[in-house]
Amino acid sequence: MTQQSIVQLRDVTKTIRGKTIIDKVTFDVYGGEVFGFLGPNGAGKTTTIRMIVGLMKLTDGDVLIEGKSIQKDFEDAVQHVGAIVENPEMYKFLSGYKNLVHYARMYKGISKEKIDEVVKLVGLEKRINEKVKTYSLGMRQRLGIAQSLLHDPKVLILDEPTNGLDPAGIREIRDYIRKLAKERGMAVIVSSHLLSEMEMMCDRIGIIQKGKLIDVQTMRDFVSTKGQLFKLEVSQPEDVKEKVVQYNSDWTVEVVERSLVIDMTKEQIPDLVRWCAANDIDVYGVSPATKTLEDRFLEVTSQEGAGTHV
Amino acid sequence: MFNLIRNEWMKILHRPGTYVMAGLLILAVIISTVLFLFIDSTFGEGEEITWQQSLEMDNEQIQETLETGGYDPYIPSAEGALAINEYRLANDLPPNSAKSIWTYLENNSFMLALVGLFAIIMASGIVAGEFSWGTIKLLMIRPIARWKILLSKFMTVATFALAMSGILVILLLILGFVFYDSGTTTRLIYENGSVVEGSMIPYLVKVYIFNSIDVILLATMAFMISAVFRNSSMAIGISLFLYFVGGSATGFIAMYYDWAKYSLFANTNLSLYEMGMPVVEGMTMTFSVIMILIYFTLFVTLAFTVFTKRDISA
Repeated sequence: MTQQSIVQLRDVTKTIRGKTIIDKVTFDVYGGEVFGFLGPNGAGKTTTIRMIVGLMKLTDGDVLIEGKSIQKDFEDAVQHVGAIVENPEMYKFLSGYKNLVHYARMYKGISKEKIDEVVKLVGLEKRINEKVKTYSLGMRQRLGIAQSLLHDPKVLILDEPTNGLDPAGIREIRDYIRKLAKERGMAVIVSSHLLSEMEMMCDRIGIIQKGKLIDVQTMRDFVSTKGQLFKLEVSQPEDVKEKVVQYNSDWTVEVVERSLVIDMTKEQIPDLVRWCAANDIDVYGVSPATKTLEDRFLEVTSQEGAGTHV
Repeated sequence: MFNLIRNEWMKILHRPGTYVMAGLLILAVIISTVLFLFIDSTFGEGEEITWQQSLEMDNEQIQETLETGGYDPYIPSAEGALAINEYRLANDLPPNSAKSIWTYLENNSFMLALVGLFAIIMASGIVAGEFSWGTIKLLMIRPIARWKILLSKFMTVATFALAMSGILVILLLILGFVFYDSGTTTRLIYENGSVVEGSMIPYLVKVYIFNSIDVILLATMAFMISAVFRNSSMAIGISLFLYFVGGSATGFIAMYYDWAKYSLFANTNLSLYEMGMPVVEGMTMTFSVIMILIYFTLFVTLAFTVFTKRDISA
């Protein structure tokens, strides 16, 4: 896996009619990784994506793609980008194949074989010569991905890529996106509302709220929090909880199903287990507990929200 | 650029509207031809007079008008008509009758208005359509500068208008050769007090070009509105409204105010100068050509600057 930054956002700022929509957003996306772009509705995800692909001008700052500025070197910068912005809207009166030919003509040297290869990749061989208006949303999504891969881009930007797909389709696209990042060393930027989806797909995530990037972390660090959580599986969690609180009053203890989730350090585990044994508490297991991305996301965004918004 | 224009044509040719337009044009030409043939056969018969007799009758009438003083604006053309008629009689050159292909081609030059109408519709939709389909986002993230994409669309409208005019002219020629006689290609012009022999062909080309000027400008304006406001109904609405009332409104204003000469429509009909009756006294062909170029540049500059600068947030 290469750790070369392919997309660089530097103090990207967008002001519309005196209102700052995006405020000094800075982050890098590296080759070979899937970067998740998260944020509540209206936080500025789509605006940021539109600025990365050059659909919107930057008020301040710069976006570099393979070192080329999207503002000064638009043609050189954007040729490395394949993208779907919002819905994959195609020419409905053309066939899927003609849509691809249309976009292929806008690059240098894309052969017929390349188009066929991409069609096969997204599994549209059977319906590719039918008009797009007959396609389901899932098929349009696939066609959207096909058009974004025609020119072997270094960066793939997908806005809600699994929108409208059935569970099997979601899984297929997810595996496929991961494969593209790993095998071709592409930098993939994905945005989605489906947090569980993002959790399975992304290596790193950036959270944007009210136009500010409030956190960029690897998925693992983000989900397992700083003060670690451990899960203690016992038979009578309610009773045990009271005892544990007495044992160490620094800990916050929560009952989750048949376990206690305790905020403690790894070093404290042996002592806790010995204490349990001494007090006749049956322990069925101790394991690190991770919060779901959803928990963390809501935690982070609500904190920030409380801080900046009175 | 070639590939971009090919793309636009692919999109045009896959929409039924294009074929409806071509079909309507063909239908209109056929109906017009049938009507002309019908009128000729109904009113042309009866009086059995030679062309010489008819011209002499004409001349008597013109003489009368000239002697009674007529009114001013018609005198130059009346003198010219008289001189031409006399020249015909003296040199035994019959005028083209209503049955000749030349008269037919000249009479049907108004069909260009229909081509213009379709060009305006096409110009209105070609940019705005991408916005309403949402495809503009996928179109503008290609390694092609925005101005090139816009230029390719402009050229597509131009080639579309040319193709439609081509269909019109070829159809007129075919029908003309089938139903009309070949007449004479000699055309008489009254110039500086004497009669000169010219050819029908450059004359007809000029008639067709003069007939296209207003339409070219209005299509450019429709294209500009489409690129600036990204709304095809607005582009079609404003352009067609001006197309139908612009000329007469300008004519009306010109009766009272001099500044009407700066209006687009006061300048688009260059044939008025040939006839020697400009919309506002003192206007010249050069003035009008300059005004046309100014308007054209204005529309094109507006379209390109706004389109390349504005964010795409649709």
